[in-house]
Amino acid sequence: MLISKLKYFIPALFAFTLVFSGCEKDKLYDVNEETILPANANKTKLKSDQQYIAILYANLFQTALSSDDLFEASECVQSIGDKDLVHEVLISNYMNQQGVILPTNEEMRADVDGFLTETYNRFLVRNPTEAERQYFKNYINTHPNVRPELVYFSFALSNEYQYY
Amino acid sequence: MKRRGFIKKAAAATAGAFTVPYILPSGRLFAASGAQLAEHVVMVMFAGGVRQQESVERNYLAQSQGIPAEGNIMYNMLDGLPPTQKIVYGTDGNLAGDTPIPQILNSTLQQQGTLFQEVRSSHAGHYGGMNALLQGNTLFSQGLRQKPLNPTVFEYARRHLGIPASKTWFVGGGIGNSTPLMNYSNHPDYGPDYGANFLAPSITFGSQGQEHLSNAKIYHPEEELNPIYQMKYFLDNNFENVGGTIESIYNTEDEKQNIKLFMREMYNLGGNISRPPVSDNNDLNTVAYAVEVMKWFKPNLTVVNLGNVDACHSNYTDYLRALHRADHAVGHIWNQVNQIPGMANNTVMLITPECGRNLNSNPIKDENDWRAFDHSDANTQRVFTQMVGPNVPSNLVRGGIGNQIGETADNCPTIAEILGFKADVMGSGLISSTAQSLFDRI
Repeated sequence: MLISKLKYFIPALFAFTLVFSGCEKDKLYDVNEETILPANANKTKLKSDQQYIAILYANLFQTALSSDDLFEASECVQSIGDKDLVHEVLISNYMNQQGVILPTNEEMRADVDGFLTETYNRFLVRNPTEAERQYFKNYINTHPNVRPELVYFSFALSNEYQYY
Repeated sequence: MKRRGFIKKAAAATAGAFTVPYILPSGRLFAASGAQLAEHVVMVMFAGGVRQQESVERNYLAQSQGIPAEGNIMYNMLDGLPPTQKIVYGTDGNLAGDTPIPQILNSTLQQQGTLFQEVRSSHAGHYGGMNALLQGNTLFSQGLRQKPLNPTVFEYARRHLGIPASKTWFVGGGIGNSTPLMNYSNHPDYGPDYGANFLAPSITFGSQGQEHLSNAKIYHPEEELNPIYQMKYFLDNNFENVGGTIESIYNTEDEKQNIKLFMREMYNLGGNISRPPVSDNNDLNTVAYAVEVMKWFKPNLTVVNLGNVDACHSNYTDYLRALHRADHAVGHIWNQVNQIPGMANNTVMLITPECGRNLNSNPIKDENDWRAFDHSDANTQRVFTQMVGPNVPSNLVRGGIGNQIGETADNCPTIAEILGFKADVMGSGLISSTAQSLFDRI
């Protein structure tokens, strides 16, 4: 008797559960609009002449420039109208001095990945993106005359390096 | 092709080459709008506040110190005999300053050109005055530590003549008084794309420059600089610049290389350049390097800013010495310009103080017990302008005491007329409504 009753109850229960649980309203998840910016987009403030020189010197020599030298060097930058040009002259002046801390060409070529990570960290305070890493690896590997000094020079001249 | 057809097409092509407008950095097309009176202009912003009494009035000490000693201490620029007593403005002989610097021009600029004896300066300060000379406008809303609000004559020249940055130079006496700001304006239609190269030789080639710039490594243009630029441009393309633009004038890579070679040459010469016969102050050092800039780049427009006369705030004797040397400096520029191939007989020079100085002295006395002068009263509005060069009438004097002809804002349209873009400047709506070319005031 009980078995014959269960015979109808269980399928009915299953059907009931199926019908009413299936009617539960679906949750909708929206996605907020986000502007996707590259890793370097948080740099919005232009360095002053003194900031640029102080950071450049520290990046190249791994030591601080004296305040007298910093003042004089910033006057030099102000004394020439083309900022790109005076930065070039300043960097090449530093590159001609003793004490610039640079890896050798052999060290760079033995570990290009490591060199790139170190260079990005040193100058741009971030890691390279995959695209950047790929470009520079390719560029260094296909240009045997490119040495660490030239890579450092290009980073110090870049627009991103003017900002923090 | 038949001979007649060839000649016809060749003639059309030649005519086209002369009439096709220039393609300019903005991507817009402009034709040169007028005939040139000369291919080069040099404007000297004269000296840092000059009283009429000691310059065109040739009064020496008579109207400043109450001493009856008159005479002309600017005898390269102006006609007139020098003072015969109380000589302090020269080089040191038996006494300080007792040996006047000999005249270096065969005839005065007054005889060679046109002198506007009484010109109105609408600004009592250096920056406002210099801006009026450069902008052709007397904007009273112009801030002191702010880029010019309206286009400078450099920008007009570059935009409307289609000339590169290395053909316009602003050589400053230093980097004080916002001087480095004046090589281009903030105006949205002009600005840094049309700015002039700025150079302050006392810094660039002075002890600071020797220490921080002179030892620059020379990189090979193809093997070293090319890779540097290629990697830099890659980095720049990857930089999402949301923090605003980096404002600077733009020289092409070839121009940059040329400027670097010029700097290298100056450092190699170590100051042994063609200096004026006497070269014992900053103004004379500045003009020496300005002349080197002209020799190297042959600019269409060079503006030189002198400022030692401003010593008058606290030392009248130093003021007289600086004024005498500023005259010597101008004479040297004119001598040298007329020896530079391409610029000789093809350059007009204008000389105007950016402002005058007060009628009455301040309480500060110098070693001779002479009183000093600031610049703030009505006498400050009195200055002069000299023009000399091709197509400038010689031995002509216009205006005089009580008869002001011209204003400092006239220099901008005057330069425009000389270089052939007057219509563009006059039609810009950006210069003072009363400013006009000095050629129209003659």
